[in-house]
Parts: sequence; C-alpha cells; structure tokens
Amino acid sequence: MTSLELSQDAYVVAFFLFCISFILFVYAMPGKKMKTHDRARHERRWGRISFTVTAIGFGSQLVYFISRWIGAGHIPVSNMYEFMSFLAMMIIGAFVVMYLIYRSAVLGAFAVPLAVIIMAYASVFPSEVQPLIPQLDSVWLKIHVTLAALGYAFFAVAFVAALLYLLRTVRWDSGSDRRSQRWLEFTMGCIIVVIGFIAVVFSFRAADYEVIVNQKVETVENGQINSKIESVTYTMPPLIAPYNSEESSLEAVPSFIGMKLPLMEAPGWMKGVQAGRKLNTVIWSLLAGLVLYAAIRLILRKPIAKAISPLVQGLDPDLVDEISYRSIAIGFPVFTLGALVFAMIWAQIAWSRFWGWDPKEVWALITWLYYSAYLHLRLSRSWHGAKSSWLAVIGLLIVMFTLVGVNLVISGLHSYSGV
Amino acid sequence: MRFDNTKCECGHQNAIGTVLCEACGKPQHEEPALDEVLEMRYDGVARKSQKANPSIIDRIWNFFSSVKVAVYLIVITLIGSMFGTIYPQESQFINIDASLYYKQSYGTMGHIYYLLGLSHTYESWWFITLLVMIGASLVICSLDRVLPLYRALHKQKVRKHGQFITRQRIVYQGDIQDSPNTWLDGMSKSLKKRGYKIVRDEDALLAEKNRFSRWGPYINHIGLIIFLLAVLARSIPGWHMEYYDAFPQGQPKEIPGTPFYLQNDHFTVEYYGEEDMPEQFVKEGRVIAKLFETKATLYRCVDKCDELAAEPVLEEVMKHDIRVNEPLEYEGLMVYQFDFDLTPRLVAVKPVLENPQTGEVYGQFELKINRTETHYEVGPYTLELTHKFMDFGLDENGKPTTKSQDPNAPAFIFMIKGPGLPNEGEPYMYFPLQKDKVKFQQDVINGEIANKFDLHVQSMNDVTLSESTSYLNVRKDTAMPFIWIGAAISMIGLIMGFYWQHRRIWLRLDGQQLALGAHTNKNWYGLRNEVARALQAVDIEVDAKSIDRGGSKA
Repeated sequence: MTSLELSQDAYVVAFFLFCISFILFVYAMPGKKMKTHDRARHERRWGRISFTVTAIGFGSQLVYFISRWIGAGHIPVSNMYEFMSFLAMMIIGAFVVMYLIYRSAVLGAFAVPLAVIIMAYASVFPSEVQPLIPQLDSVWLKIHVTLAALGYAFFAVAFVAALLYLLRTVRWDSGSDRRSQRWLEFTMGCIIVVIGFIAVVFSFRAADYEVIVNQKVETVENGQINSKIESVTYTMPPLIAPYNSEESSLEAVPSFIGMKLPLMEAPGWMKGVQAGRKLNTVIWSLLAGLVLYAAIRLILRKPIAKAISPLVQGLDPDLVDEISYRSIAIGFPVFTLGALVFAMIWAQIAWSRFWGWDPKEVWALITWLYYSAYLHLRLSRSWHGAKSSWLAVIGLLIVMFTLVGVNLVISGLHSYSGV
Repeated sequence: MRFDNTKCECGHQNAIGTVLCEACGKPQHEEPALDEVLEMRYDGVARKSQKANPSIIDRIWNFFSSVKVAVYLIVITLIGSMFGTIYPQESQFINIDASLYYKQSYGTMGHIYYLLGLSHTYESWWFITLLVMIGASLVICSLDRVLPLYRALHKQKVRKHGQFITRQRIVYQGDIQDSPNTWLDGMSKSLKKRGYKIVRDEDALLAEKNRFSRWGPYINHIGLIIFLLAVLARSIPGWHMEYYDAFPQGQPKEIPGTPFYLQNDHFTVEYYGEEDMPEQFVKEGRVIAKLFETKATLYRCVDKCDELAAEPVLEEVMKHDIRVNEPLEYEGLMVYQFDFDLTPRLVAVKPVLENPQTGEVYGQFELKINRTETHYEVGPYTLELTHKFMDFGLDENGKPTTKSQDPNAPAFIFMIKGPGLPNEGEPYMYFPLQKDKVKFQQDVINGEIANKFDLHVQSMNDVTLSESTSYLNVRKDTAMPFIWIGAAISMIGLIMGFYWQHRRIWLRLDGQQLALGAHTNKNWYGLRNEVARALQAVDIEVDAKSIDRGGSKA
C-alpha cells in the first residue's frame, strides 16, 4: 500500500468514526426524564466514550495528513480539497481543546457533525495530488495556512457553542420572541442547504452526470472585440445555461425527468465563463436544501430548532455562552498571527508587498475587524448571552465567505487554491 | 456638577466620576444600596472622559475615547472594505485606463462602480480618514483607560468594604472553625500554591495573579498604532520605491535612483513532467511551472556613473538566485522574480563594412544595442550615429518612431564620412536583424548609398544574443522594520491579554465570619473553579457553580 492509498483510507476511517462519535455524543446528552444524579453520571460516562472515539478519529485524520504529506512531497494544504480537510481536522482539534477545558459533551454533538459536513464538502473538490507551483513553494505555506486554519477552527467552535446557546434559550411557548425563533430556524435552514448541496453533488457524481455547453465569450482588448468559444462542463443538469450559449450545444443537453433543459440563460451581467454554472449549482443546492428541509419538517411536524430545543434543555446556558466567547478569545490571537501577520510576511517575500488589498487579504481583514468588534462589544459593552451568540453565528458566515466564497465568487491572487 | 461630595466614608477623596471608592471599594452614589454584581471595569476609577463641564477638546477626547464609537468605526471600515472586493481594484493592474476598463469589462454596474470611486476604495479619502480615526480612537481610548487602571492597580488597599466584597460576581460567605490567624495561614498557603501573590492586612487578605495581562490590550493597541504610522510613513518621499523592469540576460542594467546595477546572468524556467501531474491535468494539456529562477549579480557603480557614453565602472556586490519565494535582498533593496520572456534579444553585433560592388571589406566594429557609441572608425571611414530606434516602426504620419524601449527591432542611422563622400557625410540606415532588413526594406530606404556600402554580419559568431529576459520587481521600503515591530508588539499584547487572566481574591474576616469576593477580567469559569478548589484545601466544601452569582460575563 502506498502512502497515498493509506492516506485515502485513513480519511474514510476518520469520516466514519466521526459519524459514530456524533451519534454517541447525541446519546450522551442527558434526557429530561432522568434523575439529576443519573443524568450527571450518564453524561460523564458517555461523554468520555464519545470523546475517545472522536480522539481516535482525530488520530486517523493525522494519519491521513502525514501520509499524504509524505506521498505528495509537500504539505497537503495547497488546494481546496486539502485545505477543507485540514480545516475539518483543525475544528476537531479546537473542539478537543475546548472539551478538555469545559468537559461539555453537548458541544461534541454539534461540533463533530460540523467537521463531518466540512469533510464531505472537501470531497466535492478533486482530491488528486497536484504538483506545487513555485509561488506556493515556501515554508510560509506550512506556517501561514495551518495557523490561519486553526484560528478559523476556533471561530467555528465558537459558532457551535453560540448556536447551542440560542437553541437552549430561545423559547417556543406562545407569546415569546418570534424574531429569534424565525432567525434561528433560518440558521438551521442554511445548514440544511449546505447539506443539500453536498447531497446533490454526490448524487449526480454517482450517476456520472456530465454535459458540456459551449459559450460565446467576447473580450475587449485594445478596442477590438475578440470572440471565442469556451466550453463549460456541467456535472449537474443545467437548469441555467451560461450567458450567450451556443444553440447547437444546448440542443444536445439531454432532458431531465421529462423536463427540457436548460430552462433559461444566466443574466447578461454574469459574464464569467463559469458564472452560469455556479448559478446553476446554487439553484440546485437551494432546491435540494428546500426539499430536504420540507421532508424534515414533515417528519418532525415542527420547526427544526423547536425540535432540538428540548434535547438541550439540560444544558447550562451560561457555560455554552462562556465556551463560545472563550473559543473566540483563544482563536483570535492565533488568527491574527496566522492569517494576518504571517500572511503579510509571506506576501512581502513572495509578492514583494506585505499588503496589496487582494480580495482574500481584505476578507481576512474583515474577519479580523468583525471579531475585534465582537470582543470590544463583549468586554467593554457587556454584550453577552443572546446578542453575543448571534454575533458568533454571523461570524461563521463571514469566515465561510472568506474561505470559500472569495474563491468561488471573486477571484484574485489566492485563486490558485483551485475550485 | 452632578455630585458635590466625592469623599468616601473611609475618608478617601475620589475624583468626579468615580464609581467605586479608589481605596476601600465602597460603591459611591448608590441610594439605597443594591445587591447587584458591581461594575468592576477599570475598578470603578474615574476616567478623563468623564469630566463634568467638557471643553471642545474634551468633547473630541470624549468622542474618541468611547468604545461605542470605536466599534462603529470598526464596523464602518469593515463594510467599506467589502465594497472594494466587488470588482478588482485599479491597483491590481499595471497598465489600464480605468475610465474605460470597468465599463468594458463589467458593463453599467462596473461604470457606476468606477464613478463612485470604489475602483480605488482603499486609496480613497474616506477610507484613509476612517483608518486615521481608528488610529485616533486607539490612542485616546487606551490613554483614557490605561492611566486610571494603572492608578487603581498600583495602590490597592487590602481591606475592602464589606459591600465591595459581597457584591463581586464570585462570592463566598460563611463561618470558619479555626482561629482567624491559623485559617488565614492555611488559605494563604493554598492560594500561593496556585500562583497568587498574597498581601495581608490583619484579618484581611488580597490574593492577586497575572496582573500583567491587564496591560495586554494596551500593548496590542500600541503595536497597532506603530503599524498604522509605519503604513503612513511610506508616503514620505524616498521611503518607498517600486518599479518593474526587463533584464535581458548578460548585461548589467542600472537601478534608477540607486548606485546599483543588476545583471541577469541566467534565467531558467522548469515545468513539471507528465509523471508529476494528475491524469486529469495531462488530459487537459495543462502546463504547470516548477521553478522560475534568475541567477543575478548585483553591482555597485564606483566611477563614471553618470556619463552617458562611457562604460560605468562596476564592482560586484553579491550574487543571488532570485526565485519566486527568494528575493534578492541588499541594504533594504529587494529584487523579486515577476515575469519572464523567452524570446532571444539582440545584445550586440560585429558587422563589417563592405563595398558590395568589389567585395572589399573596409573593417569591422562592435555595435552594442544598448550603450551604443556615437562614433566608430572603420578602415578609412568614420560612422557617426545620428539616430537610434530600439523598436523601429512608423507612426500615423509615416515617420520613423520607436514603439518601445525593448530591442525588438533595433535600427540605426549613421552618417558615413570618408574618401569619396561629401564633407557632411551620407546617411545610412542599418537594421541588424535580417527580418527587419527585409520588412522595412533597408536597401530601398538607403537608395544610392546602398550601392557603395553594405553593413552586414558575416557569421553568427559575430552576434551576441541574450537567450531570455527576466522581468523583475525592484523595491525599497524603508518603513518595513517598523511594520514588523508594530505587528510583533501587537501580537505580544494579544497573547498577554488573551492567554492569561488577571485574577484577584479579597478576603475579610470579621471575627469568625468570612467574606470572600473574587474578580477576573476574563474566564470566570476558571476563576470559580480555582476559588472552589482553594477553599476545599482549607476544608470548606463548595460547589464551584454555587459561588458564581452571574452578572457581567466578559
């Protein structure tokens, strides 16, 4: 077995271990019907078992990471697949740290599935080992990317704890705060959409779906209009064709469950070659998310957040609030060092300037400003509980946009992370 | 004046705006006394911004000293920065006409973006103003708080007012069994073991640790201010220099504004072979570079630097292999690999002057493309250079012009003087490259004189080519050390502030009755466990959670 094969196996093992530890963590959550004394013992005992499984999963991730490093000859954080897998590993790492401080099993029931989702999301991207381009060939790749990912991971754990706080404290009896209820359910819905996206990608991948649509692209250079044909590969049925698609290639698109495709063209302002395809992916994800959400609602017969709420009533809200804040407090210096200071040092060496307002740089700065606003509000203006939890939840949105959105929507110097 | 009497019952005279007496900690101006957890920020000491009757300067000070204002500034900057990432910034391009580019590339939306000035968001007046305001806020917020905080922590009274202790967030009250002295000894030992410094005053005790972590935020802010100042300092003339240039292989080229010359000795580009790439890439025919390297020599000019015709005298300073992540660095001068061009470029030719009728060779000379001499002696003839074109072309009016400073199509016009020619000489145009000679019809341009003279190169041995050209980015940034110092100080402050917490425990025995209060600026969970464990060591069993009264959860 080569080290790359070992690496892939370890990845799958880690994935399944986390699925198991997720179920165990949920089981470890104390039920309301138990006696207080039994409850504490049950949580301690099953918390320890689930934590052990998680720790073994973390070890398996380390095996993946190290064997891929050996097999590829460079640290595996150089493309989207590798980075997302690494981020999942760091989230588990950050969770392990927070668990060792606070011994909260409920945190695991939410942090572990987040890592599972991110691991699944990583697998959406091509997982082949790619050669390292000269720009990335530096010790700073190891230091900057890994430390930045660790910082982001702590913010993700803070999100988990904040979400727990909200699930625990938002009341569902009549006459209580409708706005919090709605936004909390919306947050749950967003998570379902992400899961929907992953489900769609893997379903069509399993079916080997592939359709090529040609697009006429016009570029203006020195006042001259050059037009050329670009081909766009769709791995999901094209509901939306690229702007200015070629008729003949559209006619070749097979119909999908009796529907004549594509339904429409992307609007004219979406000019990029891949813009139509990305819009199509977004629509598929939303559709799948909505279907999934509707199915869950049908089974539960109530909002998801309301259904989870009784499961977490045994929780001390002050404790999860503290965990959320503490996770940001631990992550903030790590993030500053990894994502800003070391990034500046590397940028100075590789691109000759420490700061160039590249979109990725700007979004890292936005993330940093956001969390510094969070810390000032919490430390100096006593924003805690619900207010600070909402901030931590929105924070993850900004983090995810910085990590994924910038690469998908805006391109820039960091675009060689490849999508 | 809102409060006339600022004297506490313990006899201490407090400044206006004091919340908790600086000496004994008794809450001021609370009638009737409440039971809520005390607001312990800056230990309740008055800040400069809390003056009654503020003047204009006080008002500006008050504005910037507000954390609320600071948060607003942060949030506005954050949102402003987002706008700058919608479309690429002008600064991402080396050479574009922004007024056309955004319209052509992004349509009407792009044009509006450009008209709003968002195509240079980060250089715009409002963005710079925001940064300066954040800087002001950093300075004033810090000064406004650090001085009172220093005062409060520097002279702490050990014996605190009963209300001060029992209204902390972490409180324990109970009776002790031992004699007060024995009990305090035991408790001191237990706290010392946990790293506390103990001060005792009869039956009262103050235990404190990691006070330095309180300075973390202020050290962080100092670092940020140095950083921001260093960024502004880059606009000082001479502190910041940057340009791109082509360095053809094999000849030193001047770095303007410095005494240095840089020579590209050899440029290499390597690509990954098919065996190193995933199948998918091979199928797509992708080419991935493995290495860009310019072997470079840096020279210092020691003589004849400013004389145009003379060769400058150069002295080698250092050699370095410039790669993407390994710039050349010398006395603050940095040279980076930026781009390359593998088209060969002409460096020099050694043509012969020949009579095309008789085949008689009058002589040979070396013609350098870059530092061309103005005067050549070739046999009985002299050639005087009158015009030189690096990249020959014709403009709209059909007049000869040079399209760039790169030697793509070099052309020379000489005045030939000598036997059988008029005194003022006859003009002769010479294209060293055969393709240009044909393209621009050298013989037709020269007319009559082409029958008398022919300049041409006899063999490839007489041609010096540079195999490739390396594009390098030359920079000098005098402010860089300050940027790094600022960043380092800021990091030290962050680590001090976030990875340690200032913890204080006040104890007071009134007879056998114990009152304990504890405070920290962060991590109450850690403090309450520590207090519970310290109490357990002296046989007082308490549940960590039960001594925490909640309240300010920072």
